[in-house]
Amino acid sequence: MNRYFRELSVAGALGLLLALLAVVAPAFYQPQPLLSLATREAPTLVVACGMALVIICRQIDISVGSQFSVCSVGAGLLAAHGWPAGLVLLASVSIGALLGAFNGVLIAGLRLPSIVVTLATLVSLRQGLNLVRQGEFVNLPDGLQWFGLSQTDGQWTLVAFALGLLLVFAVALRYLSAGRFVYAVGTDTEAARLAGINPQRVTFAVFVLMGALTGLAAMMNIIQSPQVQPLSGNGLELKVIAAVVVGGVAISGGRGSVWGMFAGLLLLACVSPTLTHLHIEAYWEKAIQGAIILLAVVADGLRSRKENR
Amino acid sequence: MKYLPFRLLLALSLAFAALAPAVHAADQKLVVAMLPKAKGNAYFISCKAGAEKAAKELGVTLLFDGPTDSNAAKQNEIIENWITLGVDVIVAACENKEGISTALRKAQKQGIKVVTYDADALPDSRTFFVNQATPEGIGYSLMDEAARLTNSEGEFAIITASLTASNQREWMKYIQARLTEKYPKMKLVLTRPCDDLKDKAQSEATAMMSANPNLKLIMAICSPGVPGAAEAVKQAGKTGKVKVIGLGLPNENKRYVHEGVTDSVILWNTMDLGYLSTYAGVAVAKNELKPGAKSFKAGTLGTFEIQGDNILLGKPFIFNQGNIDQFDF
Repeated sequence: MNRYFRELSVAGALGLLLALLAVVAPAFYQPQPLLSLATREAPTLVVACGMALVIICRQIDISVGSQFSVCSVGAGLLAAHGWPAGLVLLASVSIGALLGAFNGVLIAGLRLPSIVVTLATLVSLRQGLNLVRQGEFVNLPDGLQWFGLSQTDGQWTLVAFALGLLLVFAVALRYLSAGRFVYAVGTDTEAARLAGINPQRVTFAVFVLMGALTGLAAMMNIIQSPQVQPLSGNGLELKVIAAVVVGGVAISGGRGSVWGMFAGLLLLACVSPTLTHLHIEAYWEKAIQGAIILLAVVADGLRSRKENR
Repeated sequence: MKYLPFRLLLALSLAFAALAPAVHAADQKLVVAMLPKAKGNAYFISCKAGAEKAAKELGVTLLFDGPTDSNAAKQNEIIENWITLGVDVIVAACENKEGISTALRKAQKQGIKVVTYDADALPDSRTFFVNQATPEGIGYSLMDEAARLTNSEGEFAIITASLTASNQREWMKYIQARLTEKYPKMKLVLTRPCDDLKDKAQSEATAMMSANPNLKLIMAICSPGVPGAAEAVKQAGKTGKVKVIGLGLPNENKRYVHEGVTDSVILWNTMDLGYLSTYAGVAVAKNELKPGAKSFKAGTLGTFEIQGDNILLGKPFIFNQGNIDQFDF
């Protein structure tokens, strides 16, 4: 019980919010809008899985928003050139993995701090994309939306896929040695090295995976509408880092789970529709999200102080 | 004697040099140099189409050059080149107000007339600014169009870029003013920001519709918001029941306009903007249009109002099923 206290408290807060909505704004629970909102969050969940790994490994990747945009535009242009959907998906994941590998080489290879490296890639990728596209949308071919499925089938597929991936990550992080390596490196790099783990290799792999997942998420996002906006990933990094932190993954590495991240993501994602349903001014949205993050960080701080005593 | 051929040559070339400006003035056409923010941008290509039409009617030469990307320094370089070349008038859309003004003042000192369009420079570095849209014009047009589509009654909602952006607040102010003044049966139920993201606009519009079952119209006042709202309405199966209008670009909305999801997209007519700017530039160069004028007649487009040193393009243009395919930007 104590071990999962943090995850459970976030889930509890989410439960309270959902119960409040059930009483005050039952219209929130209509199936179609709810499925649409879940589908919109599915790509975010995929990116957040990668971010949970990165943060557990005691690193951070703030370039995911730009990676997401680059993958979206790249995949969109290839699709517009007539590439079949399967190949476009592969290309999107590959572009993401390459961008992740670039970060990985600098961080794991040259041992540069990840916050500086990914800040640099965040800015340069975003500006590069602005230069090339000047904000112009990419129009996608007709058959690409929902991969040619009906809208409802497409939406369920995306949601189920994201949840499946979450399950895979939960299991892999807990039971596979590769997953345990990430915790080991995040907890104490030197101890991990002495235990025979190659921390640089683990860190590199984590960044490549982060990129690949971002590419996958970009594909999951572009098939939801007939156009790609080159800015589409703006602000994504904050959204996923917030979800991970609120979900109880320690920013100091080595601790936390993807389940906590999942609860954090849902909690933050529900803030905006809740305000809309309760007719509360939009000014509050960012303030409330900020307060949730602050609360989570303070809770973490108090816990680690108690442990250190 | 030995030097005669050389001297002759010198004399001849001097004579030609003296003659050259005279030939230029008498024979050569007036040269209008038009500077876009970015020359590959479809928006400015469409301005250029209008400018070319005007240049043909006026019998002037049109130069069209600009940076390949939105680059303020490159704009200055191009102006320097035009000063060296000795064009008659520069018609400029300015990337950086302060940055470009020095170069434009230099051009004015060399006797080149300057008119700005789309985005202004500092007032002392140009004679007129061709103003494509006033906040009042935009706000009133959006509200009038919303009223027209809903028979002036019922609930509607607004998607903005952000609640704090100054242009958005300005437009909101005029939308509100028009609403209270003319449409008492319409009700603005909520305003949500989309951070200039199409995908966020879609999520917001989805929540708006489920929270307000009687919603009749969504008005997006930032360009990514219009296709975002349209996709939400389409996915909710509410095409036609919830109307979508907004401030945006034709190419981003064509699909939804043809599908009947989006009814109207409001902006200005970019071809008219290029046409009017060219006419104004030529008139200033010929001294036919001087500061203090109250109106200006531009070819087939008719007469335009001048407020101070702003030539007003007038009411915004409404793109709909009937005309949207004529525009490519």
